[in-house]
Amino acid sequence: MNINDKSPAGEVATMAEVSEVVKKLRERAKELLASGAVKMIIGYGDGYSKGKTVPIFITKPEDADRLIFDARCQNSLSMYLKTAEIKAKGKIGIVVKGCDARAINVLLLENQVKRENLHILGMVCEGVGDPTQDKCGWCMANTPPVYDDLFGEPIPNKGWNEETFAEVLKLEAMSPAELWKFWTEQFDKCIKCYACRQACPICTCTRCITDKNQPQWVPTSPHSEGNYHWNLTRAFHLAGRCVGCNACHNACPMDIPLKLINWKLIKVVYDDYNFIAGMDSATLPPMETYKVGEETDFIK
Amino acid sequence: MVRIGVFICHCGKNIARTVDCAKVAEAASQWPGVEYAVDYKYMCSDPGQNLIKDAIKQHNLTGIVISACSPKMHEATFRKAAKSAGINPFLCECANIREHCSWVHDNMDVATPKAIDIIHMMVEKVRYNHPLDPIKVPVTKRALVVGGGISGIQAALDIADGGCEVIMVERAPSIGGHMSQLSETFPTLDCSQCILTPKMTAVKQHPNIKLMTYSEVDEVRGFVGNFTVKIRRKARYVIENMCIGCADCIAACVFKKPKFPDEFNEGLGLRKPVYIPFPQAVPQVACIDPNTCLQLTTGKCKMTCAAACPKECIDFKMVDTFEEVQVGAIILATGYKLFDPKRIPNYGYGKFDNVYTSLEIERMVSASGPTEGQVLLKNGQNPKSVAIIHCVGSRDTKTNAWCSKVCCMYSLKLAHLIKHSTGAEIFNFYIDIRTPGKSYEEFYDKVLEDNVNFIRGRAAKVVDWDLQPLEDGKLVVHAEDTLMGRRRRIPVDMVILSVGMEPQSDAGKLSHIANCSVSSEGWFLERHPKLAPVHTMTDGVYIAGACQGPKDIPECVAQASATAAQALILFSSDELTREPTIAKVDEMNCIGCFLCEKVCPFSAIEHHEIKDRNGNVIRVVSRVNEGLCQGCGPCAAICPSNCISIAGITEEQVYAQIGAV
Repeated sequence: MNINDKSPAGEVATMAEVSEVVKKLRERAKELLASGAVKMIIGYGDGYSKGKTVPIFITKPEDADRLIFDARCQNSLSMYLKTAEIKAKGKIGIVVKGCDARAINVLLLENQVKRENLHILGMVCEGVGDPTQDKCGWCMANTPPVYDDLFGEPIPNKGWNEETFAEVLKLEAMSPAELWKFWTEQFDKCIKCYACRQACPICTCTRCITDKNQPQWVPTSPHSEGNYHWNLTRAFHLAGRCVGCNACHNACPMDIPLKLINWKLIKVVYDDYNFIAGMDSATLPPMETYKVGEETDFIK
Repeated sequence: MVRIGVFICHCGKNIARTVDCAKVAEAASQWPGVEYAVDYKYMCSDPGQNLIKDAIKQHNLTGIVISACSPKMHEATFRKAAKSAGINPFLCECANIREHCSWVHDNMDVATPKAIDIIHMMVEKVRYNHPLDPIKVPVTKRALVVGGGISGIQAALDIADGGCEVIMVERAPSIGGHMSQLSETFPTLDCSQCILTPKMTAVKQHPNIKLMTYSEVDEVRGFVGNFTVKIRRKARYVIENMCIGCADCIAACVFKKPKFPDEFNEGLGLRKPVYIPFPQAVPQVACIDPNTCLQLTTGKCKMTCAAACPKECIDFKMVDTFEEVQVGAIILATGYKLFDPKRIPNYGYGKFDNVYTSLEIERMVSASGPTEGQVLLKNGQNPKSVAIIHCVGSRDTKTNAWCSKVCCMYSLKLAHLIKHSTGAEIFNFYIDIRTPGKSYEEFYDKVLEDNVNFIRGRAAKVVDWDLQPLEDGKLVVHAEDTLMGRRRRIPVDMVILSVGMEPQSDAGKLSHIANCSVSSEGWFLERHPKLAPVHTMTDGVYIAGACQGPKDIPECVAQASATAAQALILFSSDELTREPTIAKVDEMNCIGCFLCEKVCPFSAIEHHEIKDRNGNVIRVVSRVNEGLCQGCGPCAAICPSNCISIAGITEEQVYAQIGAV
């Protein structure tokens, strides 16, 4: 008796219903597991209720038929790569969208995963999540920048323009007083559950700075000061590293628009250094490099 | 239980004028943990230091704060006093209430509370101070000398004679540098080759010196006493230790006659693609120029040179190789380059036949030069009149602002030599004649008696069109004679441009490799222009000779010997003592992202493998090399999980300091 059977949407999809791309994905997953090339594949499976997916960790070839891929698959599976349990597995396969693959590039650059321990099943993605929310309007990687197998026809990058950053520009147009009011209202909602941190694929520290209490730089209580401390520290730690997958934004139970902070930082890094995080695993982010003769307007 | 002593210095009136020291002492004595607080006129004086020592013993203090001048000034003094009183010197901290407070304020009502705040911060910091012990690192008693000119040669010989090993790296096929190209040296007119060649041979034969010619320094890692240097041995296409310098290959080259400009003779002579730079070259080993050799450029040559070699040591498949050496000190003696007179087109260098640079004339005057000591025009005749234009590319804001120091003297020397060998009429165009130096002015007097003409004024231009029969077929130098107050046109057969010295064009690159700095002009920068002229900002890296600025031979030799003395001082002990204020990684919490490695300017971050009891690697974490770390702190700043702290400035201490205000 499969637990998925209880939900109409959660039934294991039959071959007749699935797209050609997913069929190919399942076939490849079967091969990889049967040959022992990978110990496990992390992918998307049907969720318990309609419109939701769950991460599935499959080790047997016959379970490969549970793999799905469609617009519901908006969560980032790359975040599992930072966990000790997954690292201990050895070589694994993982189903990724472009944004997730960019997160993997960041992890590779920062020595958090080994490339030889990954078999990346890259999915060409035309955008996921609620289409009315335009979650993926600013996507820079419809085709994953790193993969071992690619499923779907590659789509060229759209590139960024003013429109991409429309929501950030709205924030930038605010006066400091308005901004302060806006963010104070938003951060006051924070309950310090740290779901943003847990969902983030590149928040990799095993001992977060907020958990360090000798000395306690970041207050842990959910009051205004502590909330500002936490949310801004988290954002600054992502400067030049955030790939804009919006995992934190989606994970927040209090609906704080975290993506706005991230995208503001992404814009600053892009404007000032022409750098986009995670497009490859070799280019060092601007915050981690110093070139002699580098021009700055903040060091006088 | 902490027992802190606070000592407030009046610094005569320097501090007491704007800070009420007695009130500060009173305030400090009220803080929890402060056992003793006192003010005194001069803490750095002997009675002042005794006051500190007695208080430490009497009150059994566990930490002291000296509130006085900048720690740059007297931290060492007070730490020494603390040590002699029996506590760890790193339990003593300085609160700067002079430069940071009394000197910048004139109102006592403002300065006094500020001084109290500054001292309070330091008291809170000292609360968390731990005893630290100096780090000892071993010293490799071997020096690297970069550059084989007279400076490098002198430094290498001195260190080698002092009993330590030397590795000399020279990028040309032979050592000798610019000095080997000179004819006679001012003011004594002894032959340059005659005094240099014995030293070159001594380098080759010295058991303590390893000579690497045709090589360059690619990378320097490490720190004082413990440098690892990567040296690129450029492919010379002749196996160096087999070649006997017989020159059979040169005779056998498919180019029957020399065809290519000879670098040693400044292009006045010709050489073949396979060559020995000059007869006295050290080492006496042939070298093949990859830019002109037929086999190396086209791959289609009969390779007669290889066939002729009795030792079969010509190898066209040779590639650049790399060698890593361990040294304790590095001496940079990379010399200078000549100003390129084409940058001042009005002097016509490269346009008119008989306009030469001074170094070209040095080669002509040299007995071993391309004309065997004769000064000749292009048509093979001796000049009847010669103009020597001083300060070409020196003392000129359009090119180089500095005085190149040697040009006046060598111009006088060339005037003297040419006058005596050809009897030509000589005109010196000068701005000022600068002859400071032992016997230099006397040499000038001698040349004045030689009937040489001196025209005070910078030459404007050299032209070849004549206005009167006298100027027919001659070069005409235009100049303003500032003593006569008239413009003059002097027709001459030959013009010599006294070109100045410039920094080597790749000095900046080498300064990055060796982690020292260059001035905005490109000369290597000394630590202090007067009191540390051969030190750089990096411990264990020294500079000798003209790479630091224009110099003549005696100055280069003196400076080279000074660097040798510095290296030998370093090598006189087996261990170096270093400050213990360095970074430390919390290996339990390190996630091994190695951002610290990327920002470390001293390459002090190492990868450390944490293994289980079976030897399997569980995690790779960052670890700080105690010898390399300078305690500068970017690693601590970038670590996302705050796993790195600097001894003596830990996070707890910084946090406590912030909390105190």
